[in-house]
Amino acid sequence: MSGLEHVTPGILCVLIFAGWLLYRELSRVKQGYVHFIRRIPGVDALESAVGRCAEQGRPVVFTTALTDVGPTLYACLGVLHSIARRVAQYKLKLLIPQYTPEAMALVEDTVRDAYREAGRSSSFDPESIKFLSSEQFAFASGYMGLMHREKAGAAFMFGAFAAEALVLAEAGQQVGARQVAASVSPEQVAFFICTCDYTLIGEELFGSSAYLSREPVQVATLAAQDRLKLLCLGFIVIGVLLATIQPWAPRVASIMPDRLLSSDWGAISW
Amino acid sequence: MVAQDVNDARKKLIRVFTFLGGIYFFLHFLLPESAVSYLGWRANHEAISNGFIVVGAMALGLGIFNIVRDHGARCVFKRSGWFNSLALLLGLSSMLFVTTGQWINGQKNSSDVRRVRLTGEFASRILSDAERPPQDRAVPPLSARITALLGHQRAQASAIEGEIAVSLGPDAPASAPMLIGEVKSKLDALDQDMSEIARVPWEALGPQQKALLERVAQNATKLASAYSLIKQANHSRTRIHKLYTFLYDGLFNQLGSAMFALLGVYIGAAAYRAFRVRSLESGLMMATAVLVMLGQISLGESQAARAGVSLQDIRQWLLEVPNSAAFRAIRLGAGVAGLMLAIRMWLSIESTSFSSRER
Repeated sequence: MSGLEHVTPGILCVLIFAGWLLYRELSRVKQGYVHFIRRIPGVDALESAVGRCAEQGRPVVFTTALTDVGPTLYACLGVLHSIARRVAQYKLKLLIPQYTPEAMALVEDTVRDAYREAGRSSSFDPESIKFLSSEQFAFASGYMGLMHREKAGAAFMFGAFAAEALVLAEAGQQVGARQVAASVSPEQVAFFICTCDYTLIGEELFGSSAYLSREPVQVATLAAQDRLKLLCLGFIVIGVLLATIQPWAPRVASIMPDRLLSSDWGAISW
Repeated sequence: MVAQDVNDARKKLIRVFTFLGGIYFFLHFLLPESAVSYLGWRANHEAISNGFIVVGAMALGLGIFNIVRDHGARCVFKRSGWFNSLALLLGLSSMLFVTTGQWINGQKNSSDVRRVRLTGEFASRILSDAERPPQDRAVPPLSARITALLGHQRAQASAIEGEIAVSLGPDAPASAPMLIGEVKSKLDALDQDMSEIARVPWEALGPQQKALLERVAQNATKLASAYSLIKQANHSRTRIHKLYTFLYDGLFNQLGSAMFALLGVYIGAAAYRAFRVRSLESGLMMATAVLVMLGQISLGESQAARAGVSLQDIRQWLLEVPNSAAFRAIRLGAGVAGLMLAIRMWLSIESTSFSSRER
């Protein structure tokens, strides 16, 4: 069908396994099992950066940049919730420049909720969530202006980034802000490593929310995704082995991938 | 109490809609193509997808309303930063005005070209109806249709002449004489066909009449194509188009390019910070970066060739092997984590994590 791909046997197995893993880990966590989460220095730095802002009386800036509504944004919102709660406790100013109009409502709801949890609902200012532009470089220039005007003490850049990543990070450098970045865009990770104090790479962004909140649902998801990643690692090893034995056993090496990867179920000979 | 009930009902409604929306696309992905067609989803999928566009269009209207209300109030009451709001409103209104003008002009041009193309389509339709009279509708007599075709073409010819006169203005582009020559030759050919049509009897469709109508259909299509080029050339000389080009290409795009150009400077500053050799890792990164940079330029390659080393091969290997492996690892990790989070969102167990925490 145009516009949509259909599932392959391999992907279907992975989906079923992922659903089962999530259910299993949720049950275990609900029964009181405590998962170990390794220390992520970048996430620890979030709290110290907010504390530094409190000492200096400077505002905190958080941006999800080009992140559209989807899993990545939800992961960012988990982190934003923790930061916003801490900002509310310290009575700091929080600024959240926005690029995606659809994400704005979710961001506002999350920050409002965090302020309510901190017992400072009245301090929440909807004006702190500013829509700048949905044009990439117009957003970048707006962000630069905001950083220079407000002299932010900490800047958190979480989500999907493109060419504007370096412009945003340099703006923070220029005002001497403590910067923590987390990106799922591998091309931009290098720029963040060069310009930010701490950088979370790839899935660390998804894990940071669980690390900060230690909430059962998030921790269970983190555990399930680790196990699914192990399965993927297994597939990679099998793939490498099959590719290696290809010259000696071509039939064994070619049958399995065909069966797993074809979306034309009727044509697969089992 | 009532407010709490309404809130709970709202949450349930959101969860139900999220689940139903998710299950539609999930099953769409899961079921084989034949099952999707059998269930009738194939025909309705576009309509469902269009529903999302409609929601987006509503949000656009709301957005404009909000901008005008918020920034208008800021200007009227002279709140802080009111001049920025004024600039925003001026930019919005001028772009709206110019883009609307541009759109209206475009529509008019398309409809003018379409009318010329219609001559050919009409001739083809006369021919097909005369050869195979339609059963479901009555068709006027052939001679009456030919009279209508001649009348339509006369009207179009005078419109085209008028457009040619506009093209000959003092600020005409260099390509204008060529375009005008092209249109005139096509128009002459069509006029010649029409004169022949006027001379031939149209009581019945004979081989001569058939050949004439086929020729008219072909020549009218060619004329429409040439005419559209003249229309475009004339349109690009209108004030509204010039204003649009100035605002969009001359201002908006150039501002974006200026911001992008900043990256050149920033990359230098970032590279300076990153390449200060303070640890083994940064030393390794520095060495790798130097190899990649030298492999990219001819000077580095020529120097290395003297030493019998291919820097291009080293650069290629660095980019394709360790770099690609790292990229894939990041993408795989993020993909798996995204999948888990998507399942959580779909089943609405995500909402208990932060935004709707029980208190």
